Amino acid sequence: MNGIIEISGIEKEYRMGKITVPALRGIDLTIMQGEFVAIMGPSGSGKSTLMHILGCLDTPTSGDYFLDGEKISAMKKSKLAAIRNSKIGFVFQTFNLLPHLNVQKNVELPLMYSGVSPRKRAARAREVLSDVGLGDRLRHKPSELSGGQRQRVAIARALVNNPAIIFADEPTGNLDSVSGSDILTIFSNLHAKGHTIVMVTHDSAVATRASTRVNIVDGLIG
Amino acid sequence: MAISIKESIVAGVTDFWSRKIRSAVTILGILLGTMSIIVVLSLVNGIYSTTTAWMTERGGLTKIAIDNNREYDNAQNLPEYFTLQEIELIKSLIPEATAVNPQMSSWLSMSYRDKKENGLLMGVYPDYALVEEWTADRGRFINDFDVNQSADVVVIGTKIRDELFGSKNPLGQFITINDRRLQVIGIMEHKFLKNNGIGNANALGWMNRRALIPLSTMIHKGTGQDHIEELTVKAASPEEAIDLKYKLEAILLNLRAGQPVFRIESNMEQAEEMQKNFQTMRIIIFFISLVSLFVAGIVISNIMLATVQERTREIGIRLAVGARRTDIFIQIVVQTIIIFIIGGFIGVVVGLSLLSVVSGYLGQPIIAARWVIITAVASTLCVGAITGIFPALKACNLDPIKALHYE
Ligand SMILES: Nc1ncnc2c1ncn2[C@@H]1O[C@H](COP(=O)(O)OP(=O)(O)O)[C@@H](O)[C@H]1O
Ligand SMILES: [Mg+2]
Repeated sequence: MNGIIEISGIEKEYRMGKITVPALRGIDLTIMQGEFVAIMGPSGSGKSTLMHILGCLDTPTSGDYFLDGEKISAMKKSKLAAIRNSKIGFVFQTFNLLPHLNVQKNVELPLMYSGVSPRKRAARAREVLSDVGLGDRLRHKPSELSGGQRQRVAIARALVNNPAIIFADEPTGNLDSVSGSDILTIFSNLHAKGHTIVMVTHDSAVATRASTRVNIVDGLIG
Repeated sequence: MAISIKESIVAGVTDFWSRKIRSAVTILGILLGTMSIIVVLSLVNGIYSTTTAWMTERGGLTKIAIDNNREYDNAQNLPEYFTLQEIELIKSLIPEATAVNPQMSSWLSMSYRDKKENGLLMGVYPDYALVEEWTADRGRFINDFDVNQSADVVVIGTKIRDELFGSKNPLGQFITINDRRLQVIGIMEHKFLKNNGIGNANALGWMNRRALIPLSTMIHKGTGQDHIEELTVKAASPEEAIDLKYKLEAILLNLRAGQPVFRIESNMEQAEEMQKNFQTMRIIIFFISLVSLFVAGIVISNIMLATVQERTREIGIRLAVGARRTDIFIQIVVQTIIIFIIGGFIGVVVGLSLLSVVSGYLGQPIIAARWVIITAVASTLCVGAITGIFPALKACNLDPIKALHYE
């Protein structure tokens, strides 16, 4: 049986002048459709680096990456953008919303780049926003929302294109414990509905809810 | 599927409004560039058409004028005038000319009863009216009979009429010039051409001070000698005028032992010369304006680069949610072009208003030709597109991860 994600021998080195920093030193991992994977590990162990490569935001120095049967590691930048747009939803620790766009427009953004008509975009954005409980905040600017609400907008944006997989890099890292647990509940519900989720977290409670736990230490699965 | 141009425009306009001061400054730069192209080119055109009008008033493009060449040092003492015999010879050699008019003139005092006025007395042929495209509009002009009879008749300009007769009808009256009594048979059409910038001054007022008599009268009752200093000729068309001019040049050189005793000027040739000069002027001015537009463009390019820098995170976010490099590229180029379109549009409006103010001041309409406006707008947009490319390239080559972590 093939996984939705299959990586083998993934290495990533950052070159900083004459020094090369090895962030990932040969990662093999298979993630199945519908899995909820929790990635854990100490700070600086390479979790974000791995997430960026899996999320097609960055390319590995070496190794193979197959997503949904497609070989990502050999793709050009423009193709990666299309993959990010159609197959991947990414939730960041720092929300990364566009401050001058309102909530609905922020959520519409991926649809805009995939060429969906404005009317369909608006309808779909409202749908996912009400799924995350923000149906009444469509015209608010991100600055008018709490941290938890902002992260819910970011989740709505990640979901809007019906991605094959959702990546979340410490989505609760900037939130208080109450909003944090709200966010985690949303992810649990998404998992229950059949979404594939890969999440970096420090919260062992989340980790126990996950179907798979992956520990990374020093750029290797430990 | 790439983002549509329409989306880029919406995004561009939104962005434009959120950076009002910066947008205003850039627009000012573009506005000045576009405006200067329109205003200066139109002014040059205005001067050109005034000069053309002047030339038309002076006999049109078919006129050729011959008088003595002041630059020629006449050491051999060759005659610097024509005899009547020579005039007839020349006339027979240029049958293609539609009119030939020899003329003599002298600045004299003219009087009627107790009134006196100075004017230019000219002895001419009836062809004068054809060559100058100027004739009597009251009474009649000199005819062949007058010339044959050396008649004591005169056709006067409006200035002389006003000074000597006031509101009185001069036709049939006798005026005295050089102790000779001449009967007024006609009044020349009033000549008027508005002087550039000098109120209501008449650039052709001096022509209204002419008094015209038959050439024969001038010769026989004046000095008695047929020393004709000037000859004017009319060609059938402006194109033929140039050929005729060269032909006349050859004829006159033959008459004067190969020496350039006479000067021959063709209005058409001058017009062509002028046309060339104005074309050069237009090109120079256009390039100066283009350079200033480019300087504005470089400034704008830098501002856009700074904007891209500021928006690095935003671009990172857009890339992260699936924007392609072309999407980002188009977005930035479109935004730059939007600023140029707005600036260019205001530049056209301001330029046209400025022109109407200048027109009012000069008391003469100066209209921006359609090609001037099109040139101004097109060059503005080209500069906009070119200056938009560098910031756009920078933006679309950003690395998504680095852009996302940009502070
Ligand atoms: N852009 C970068 N340039 C250089 N080194 C980097 C860069 N990003 C991460 N690193 C280094 O790679 C290692 C892994 O970082 P990261 O993946 O962010 O770890 P984690 O998310 O687990 O805290 C760290 O040593 C970090 O300093
Ligand atoms: Mg991290």
